[in-house]
Amino acid sequence: MRLYVDSSRCSGCNACRVACSLSVFGENNPKKASLVIEPHFPAPGVYKVRVCTQCGDCAAVCPTEAIKQDAQGAYYVEFSECNLCEACVPECPEEVMFVRPELADTAWKCTACGDCVAVCGTSALWLGEKEAVAA
Amino acid sequence: MPAIFRLSGSLKDVVGGKDEYVVEAGHTVREQLLALGIVPETVAMVSVNGAMETKDYVIQDGDTVRVLAVVGGG
Amino acid sequence: MNGYGGHILRVNLTTGQVKKEPTPADLARDYLGGRGFGIYFLLKEVPKGADPLGPENKLIISSGPLSGLLVAGGGKCDWTCKAPLTGGYASASMGGHFTAELKYAGLDSIILEGISPKPVYLFIDDDKIELRDASEYWGKGSMTVEKMMKDKFGEEFQCAVIGPAGENMVSFAHINHDFGRQAGRGGVGAVMGSKKVKAIVVRGTKSVPVADLEAYRKAGMALYKACKDAEGLKEWTRYGTTIVTSWCNEVGALPTRNFSAGSFEGAQGIYGQTMREKIVVTDKGCFGCPCPCGKYSKTKKYNSYVEGPEYETIGLLGSNVGIDDIEAVAQANLLCDEMGIDTISAGNVIAWAMECYEKGIFTKQDTGGIELKFGNADAVFKMIEMITKKEGLGALLADGVKKASQEIGKGTEKFAIHVKGMEQSAYQTHNATAMLLAYMTCDVGAHHNRAWAITYDIQVGREKVVPEKVARVIWLQHFRPMFDVLGACRLQWVELGIDRDLYVPLLEAITGIHRTWEDIEKVGERIWNLTRLYWARENADFGRAWDMPAPRFYEDPPKTGVTKGQYTKLEDVNKLLDMYYEQRGWDSNGLPKPETLQKLGIPQELVA
Repeated sequence: MRLYVDSSRCSGCNACRVACSLSVFGENNPKKASLVIEPHFPAPGVYKVRVCTQCGDCAAVCPTEAIKQDAQGAYYVEFSECNLCEACVPECPEEVMFVRPELADTAWKCTACGDCVAVCGTSALWLGEKEAVAA
Repeated sequence: MPAIFRLSGSLKDVVGGKDEYVVEAGHTVREQLLALGIVPETVAMVSVNGAMETKDYVIQDGDTVRVLAVVGGG
Repeated sequence: MNGYGGHILRVNLTTGQVKKEPTPADLARDYLGGRGFGIYFLLKEVPKGADPLGPENKLIISSGPLSGLLVAGGGKCDWTCKAPLTGGYASASMGGHFTAELKYAGLDSIILEGISPKPVYLFIDDDKIELRDASEYWGKGSMTVEKMMKDKFGEEFQCAVIGPAGENMVSFAHINHDFGRQAGRGGVGAVMGSKKVKAIVVRGTKSVPVADLEAYRKAGMALYKACKDAEGLKEWTRYGTTIVTSWCNEVGALPTRNFSAGSFEGAQGIYGQTMREKIVVTDKGCFGCPCPCGKYSKTKKYNSYVEGPEYETIGLLGSNVGIDDIEAVAQANLLCDEMGIDTISAGNVIAWAMECYEKGIFTKQDTGGIELKFGNADAVFKMIEMITKKEGLGALLADGVKKASQEIGKGTEKFAIHVKGMEQSAYQTHNATAMLLAYMTCDVGAHHNRAWAITYDIQVGREKVVPEKVARVIWLQHFRPMFDVLGACRLQWVELGIDRDLYVPLLEAITGIHRTWEDIEKVGERIWNLTRLYWARENADFGRAWDMPAPRFYEDPPKTGVTKGQYTKLEDVNKLLDMYYEQRGWDSNGLPKPETLQKLGIPQELVA
């Protein structure tokens, strides 16, 4: 499973990022979310959303093998095994692999849990099979 | 085949909370609203099968009619 | 403290000192947040008779317990101060992402005190809090400055900025945020300008604690699900508040040519449907909102970008000034946002000036050569600039329609559309008695958001003057403003018809305190009475006369449109007030009786 996005439907509300930080960390803190909304205002007035495609490039370079794959094929960080080396960060083609030691003592990423999809009022986000063509 | 008549937002409170009705074809949206006890002027928008219509639209068999309450402004 | 940032930030601009205090638990318990915190600090700390633009006035900026959390629409920020526009209570509600960021920085309120010797901006990056030199930003437009700051500090920072009108202390200057969201009414921007604060920039990276995490997630998800399942979500989101424009025109509620009529022959050109087809680029939501009313637009004619226009702006800077072109309305909206003035007040004062011009009270000599006729968009643009700069006729209009009409006299007070000095928002009230009463008794002046009762008028009979209407207005005045206290938006309830009981377990899971809506409305009633006391404290002659609507609504019926010939008789206006005061436990002059205050548990320290 992976997350898909249609940025043109995004209204920039950030509900997804609150839901994400709650899912990943059990905290109310969108700075600790695993997806990014870039607003482009005042012109041209669009939001660009970046989400994890579950490509696995992060897992491939992790020296401690802290990034593992679950039964649905989504990669997640085993927090206790991460040593904050940041090797994964530059590998991520979507720039959604996060290491911010001031915020968390582990790397984190999208686990394709779907909580962001549940709160998105404009249907900009959805879960699908990795190979699936974006709806 | 009857039509489906759906009420949104605060309109359903006017009629006691129920938001979906099965109605007979042949009446206008305005008549249907009056039959439910809703003053037609409190309706902002009528959508029939996804397209905007007026309150004078005559309901056809199989239609899904959605009526939206007037909103509260900015 | 669960559900709160935990601190109040005091910024003394005179001395440059910044100080954080813990948010008192009993303050949070009794006043919850937002508007509640605002009126508490205003009554307690701003001395009687303070000059709204002087060092004694304070600008109190507050989030609420629902702000910044998993709450559909948890993005409302309250801005309270003594109002330069009215000399009474001001509380402006701002959407966007600012309030959430305050919470993540560990703050519930910011209190701006004193006056800075030179232009500054307040910089907050978690615990790093500084007043910084703003000379490079002073004089620039609000969105220009926001863009400069976003480029400099990054997207994670949220900015609230005044425009040149705030710097010049135009009495209805506003505060702009997120390229098109405002703390709009009462002149809060002028107060920020008087303190020489150009902007507040904030980033927070802290987590907000809640009492019961699992119950909170469940209740938060349930609220989002209800919004997403709501009938009408799609249509509402497509048009936002502009969905109401065509309806207002149909029922004669669309302010037209300075509220002289309620239907506009050119209304089609400013309908929400026209706007969506012609100019809307994207939906733009406030924090956490699943049903974004914000529409972001691009005009072809002016090659400009603007958030909006939303309904109030369409009513006031469209039909009320006789403009039938949505692109021109959008452009006027943009100019107001960039210059930093409230579109509702602007549309009113310009319409009043246009009526004066068409009646020959103003001539080209007064207007600086401008053909100030209804429908002239270029004249509207020019007036916005002149008001901002307080130039020529603009200097008169910058004081608001009440003072301007008092200065000019010649009967112009009769068509100055305001209550308590605040210009009326976009609902025509010749024949909608509950809505008229809502405007007359609103706690900031003629504003709609405390009690929006016009559909109730239509449902029970527009011209009826009955106790049920009064009771409805009072209930709305307690219930709706509580969203501004809780730091969330009311539109999920108003527009999507979400069951309000969904908020009860959510608020409890967040704060750890069980409250029913009855409990919450009681806080609403306490706040309502406190704001009334504030008006009376600041104005020796405050009373019934201050609750009167513009004479136009009781003696000058529309000559055209669907409400042609209709008006509310003066005796009915008085009957509405009599019933209202009685139901509220106020005396015949509209002041709360001692036993009413006692019943509401209003502390002596705030009444003295």
